[in-house]
Formats: sequence, structure tokens, C-alpha cells
Amino acid sequence: MKSNRTAFLFLVCLLFLGLMFLLNLSLGSVKIGFSDVFMGLFTNSWEKDSYREIILNFRLPKALVAILVGIGLSLSGLQMQTFFRNPLAGPYVLGISSGAGFGVAILLLAGSAMGFTFTAISPWSTAFAGVFGAGGILLLVSVVAWRVRDSMTLLIVGVMFGAAVSALISVMSYFSQAESLKLYTIWSLGSLGGLSWNQVMILAVLVLLGALPVIASTRSFNALLLGESYAESMGINSQNLRWLVILSTGVLAGGITAFCGPIAFVGIAVPHLGRLLWKSADHRILFPGSALVGAGLMLICDTISQLPGSAQTLPINAVTSLIGAPVVIGLVIKRNFSKEF
Amino acid sequence: MKKQVLIGKNLSLGYEAGNQQKTILSNLDFELLSGQMTCLLGPNGVGKSTLIKAIMGKIEPFKGSIELFGSAPTSYHRDDLSKKLSVVLSEPIFPAQMTVKQLVALGRTPYLNWSGRLSDQDKNEVYKALEATKLEYLRKERLGELSDGQRQKAMIARALAQDCPLMVLDEPTSHLDLVNRYEVMQLLQDIAKTQEKAVLVVTHDLDIAIETGQQLWILNCGSPLISGTPEDLILQGEINQLLPSDKYFFDSNRGKVVMHHQTTKIEIEGPDELVYWVEKALIKSGKHLPKDSIRISENPFRIFCQGKEFTRISELIEIL
Repeated sequence: MKSNRTAFLFLVCLLFLGLMFLLNLSLGSVKIGFSDVFMGLFTNSWEKDSYREIILNFRLPKALVAILVGIGLSLSGLQMQTFFRNPLAGPYVLGISSGAGFGVAILLLAGSAMGFTFTAISPWSTAFAGVFGAGGILLLVSVVAWRVRDSMTLLIVGVMFGAAVSALISVMSYFSQAESLKLYTIWSLGSLGGLSWNQVMILAVLVLLGALPVIASTRSFNALLLGESYAESMGINSQNLRWLVILSTGVLAGGITAFCGPIAFVGIAVPHLGRLLWKSADHRILFPGSALVGAGLMLICDTISQLPGSAQTLPINAVTSLIGAPVVIGLVIKRNFSKEF
Repeated sequence: MKKQVLIGKNLSLGYEAGNQQKTILSNLDFELLSGQMTCLLGPNGVGKSTLIKAIMGKIEPFKGSIELFGSAPTSYHRDDLSKKLSVVLSEPIFPAQMTVKQLVALGRTPYLNWSGRLSDQDKNEVYKALEATKLEYLRKERLGELSDGQRQKAMIARALAQDCPLMVLDEPTSHLDLVNRYEVMQLLQDIAKTQEKAVLVVTHDLDIAIETGQQLWILNCGSPLISGTPEDLILQGEINQLLPSDKYFFDSNRGKVVMHHQTTKIEIEGPDELVYWVEKALIKSGKHLPKDSIRISENPFRIFCQGKEFTRISELIEIL
């Protein structure tokens, strides 16, 4: 009976995801009917050429990016929470978003602070800067991880690195000019749009690469629910697992942040939603479950951020936080977080 | 036929601080046999946890050898070791959302592939572990909703599902009430006997260890490990090794630890059982003891002292 409920929930979530996907494509500054979207996608017959343009080159890549971001951040948040046995851990606890921010800040701010500006600022250049920044901080964290055995120490060091790097960004912001500061601020608010099909492909490959090792060690994550000592007594190599977690989160959160900017809360809130929905701690259920919920949630957030019917958009990072914060607050108040975990 | 599962020879253990070796335990000799529950007793800080770590293959001995089925625990690959030795640790970590059955199923981890999918045989082992610990009726309950005693039994069931010839438990009864302590230890003894496992339990409950254990290991600072059946150790007076101060001694008549009192003997007449408790209460009260003799009658319970009559011990103590 219990497995029936699990399967039923998966089915509902999948249908919901499909619905949200269509809704996301349909809504925006121009409303395109469900049937038009459906016909266009599956038979390639478009009522208007402008519809085709909007859907294929703007909304479809953005919707796919939303799904990829939702999957990537949720998976990475879930593995961090289990690995650090901390309900407030998320993809960014090891300082990855600050690292990526630092890379982008150097690109956008450092020049202006020193009196010259980069002329060509494209998604590619910010993505590269983000990857280098995230990679750099990951390298630092890895050096620490190599020396300390205790995962709590690693967590604290990660948070400290993040704080230090954020401080450097603040210094750069202080000395930079208004124009570049605005560019940086906009990057830091996150954006799912504006990526070409090539970039969407690269993001998809990154999310796949980051997700594979996690899914391949489902057994280890389940054993880790009882803590590192128990996991080791059951034959789990927790040192290997730690490297896997660092690498996977680096690829997932680093890649996503590089392309879309830092996106808050999804990584922390979605695994909790997954646990609530499926009432399970089993990662065989939680990994696919969180991925589904994460993808759905990102699609909803993106739909809201387009402010259907108006030409304005809200920054995605603000929307995810606006939805995520009540979720986390609700969880904290409704149940004893640390005990439930 | 009892088999030797674990053998320690001239074993010295400790930890490394900086580049110095601090020896905590030295010259330990022991053997652990299958089909027996062995209780490891000793004061706090004597190195029981260090010994457990060495058995789990987490630290290398400084001197001597420790052999689990003929080879050092540190020489095993972690996959093989996890099929020889299962543990119940003293750190309490319970994911509240997990059901008892899921917890027990985690014990099958060493036998699963990457996905953690349970085969029919795994499910059968889980069922057997639940049956042996009499937890079937709780299998769908979540750990957050169980009592401490039930959770501890669930942890034992998990270790059982790991299907290892040796089980090591680090203070499994430490935060349980008296009845649950007996139950858990009785359960472990049953498991050792019926499933031919070697069970090593670290505990502080001398009374229960004597009652339920087939072997006792007594560790004390600076002396070798003493092992033997509890009854032998009592009759040889070795149990007193556990009681470092002269104030306490093990009363072999009553089977428990009692305090020495230098106070003058009080004269109490009456049935033995009643005399024992009245005497105990009077000594504990620390009051000046009555010079006259005390007489106790049973049915109805009355205490006669200094020409008065009392129905409760507390009334007597009050007037002293």
C-alpha cells in the first residue's frame, strides 16, 4: 500500500511537471494558448511565425533551463543535507555561489574599480568567470577536505570561505562604478533566460555529469543517514563519498550559478518538501522525488517571475526566495526541524 | 562447538598525540567465542572505546596482535569486514522519518549494489531480524515515535540484519530504564545462543551483566584484562577489581555491590528480609542510632523501638 502511495505521488508530480511546463510556455508578456503550444511543439505547425520565434528561441530554452536548475540544485542540496546531517545545508554551503560571484565580480567590477572596462560581456564570459570562481573555491575547500577528516569542520570551513570571498566582493563593489555595479547586481539576482541552445546543451551535460555520481551512490547516502561511523561499519567508504559530494556539487551548483547566477532557497527547501511529500528518508525515493519537485518549483517560480500579461519581469532569485522563505519558516514552526531530520 | 572469533595476544593500544604514542591499554590477552555473550566492564576512561576501535579495525595496535577469524581487522577490505562485524554504537543518531523496517533494511547495505535495492533474500533477512527482536508489530512505526528501549532494539535488529558472526555493542543500555536494560541484555544473550554469534557488550550494569552474560571481561587501569564466567569471578573475588575504593565491595550473598560501614552494629531482631532494609535505611539516614534494640514484626509490619511502635521506617527515623 505504501509503495502504491509512492508511485501515485510520482505520477502526480510528473503530470504536474508536464502541466507547469506547458503553462510556463504559454504564459508571458504574450499569451499563447495551450493548444497552440501543443500543436507547435509536436506537429511543428505554428499559427503565427512570431509564436514560433517566441516559443522555440525564447521560452523553450528558458523552460528547459528552469527544469535543469531545479533538478541540479535539489540534488545537490539533498546530498549536502545528508552528507553534513544538517537540515540547513544546501548547494552553497561550501562557498560555491560566493566563489562564482567572485569570478563574475572580477570580470564586471575589478576592471571598473581599476579604471577600465571589459567591452564584450556575454553569457559566455560570465559563465567562464563563474566557473573559474566556483572552481577556485572548490579547490581551496578540497585542500581543507584533504587535511580534515571531520565533515562538520569541513562545513564550517566552507561557510567561512564563502564569507571571506563575499567580503572581497563587497570591497570591489565599493570601489567600482555605478554601471558595472548594476551589471553585477543584475547577475547576482539570477536569470534563467538569455541562454542560447548551445549553452542550454552545455548546462544539460553538466547537470547530467553532476547527477550521475550521486545517483550511483544511493546506497551510500542511505547508509549515511545513520552517521559516518555506522556507514563505515557497513562497508561505505566515507572519504570517497566526500570527494564525490564535493565534485558533484561543484559541477551542479557551480555550473548552474555560472550560467544563471546564484539561485537561493531551492536547494535547501526542495529536499524538505520531498521528505514531507513522500514521508521517507530513503534516497531511492528522495533523489528522483526532489528532482521532480525542484523542476516543478522552478517552472512555477519562472512563470511568476514573467509577470504574465506584462512586459516586466521579476528577478528569479527574488521569486525563489519569496516562495522558499515561507516554506522553510513553515517547516521550522510546524515541526521540530532538528528532530525530524 | 564454540569457535574462536576474536583473539587478542599481548595487545597494547592507545592513541597518537602529535608524534608521541600514548598507551592506554597494555598486555591484553583475550578470546571471544561464538555462541556467547561477553560483557566488557570497566570504569570510565579505562580504554573500552579504544579496544572497540581496535576490534573495528579503526586503529592499529602498538604492540601484540588482534585477530578476527585469523587476520587483523585492519587488514580486511571494508566490504569483507562489514560482513564479519556489525556494531551498535553509543552515539544516538536516528533519522526520525525512517521506519523501523527501513532502519533494519539498512543493515543489508554491505550486500546491496549501488542502487540499494533489496533482493528477496535481503527482505527475508530483514524479516528474520525483526522476528528475532520481536519488533514485527512496530515495523511501520517511525523512529521518532518510538521509546528509547524500542529504538535500541531496532538498532540491534539492524546489526542483526547485517548477518555477521560478531556483534559489538557499545553501551547499548546506557539510557534505558531498568526493565528495558534487562530486556535488551536478555535479547542479546538469546541472539548469541540461538544464532551462534559472538556478542561483545560494553556495559556499566554489573548486576545485569552478571545475571545475563556468559563471560565477563574486566578492564582496569594498569592491570591485565580479567576474563571468566561471572560466577567464577565472584567466587574468586576478582569482581572487586571493578571497585577501586575500599568503601565498596561485592556482596556475593546478595549478588550486588554494597558499601562498607564502620558504624557499630545495630541490634535488630525480626525476619531477615525486613532487618536488611530497616538497617539500610537507618545507616543511610546518618542519624544517631538508638542504643536499645529494635524489634520488627511482620504481618502487620511494625517496628518497636524505645517503647514506641512505628508503622513506617520513616516515622522511626524522624524521632531519632
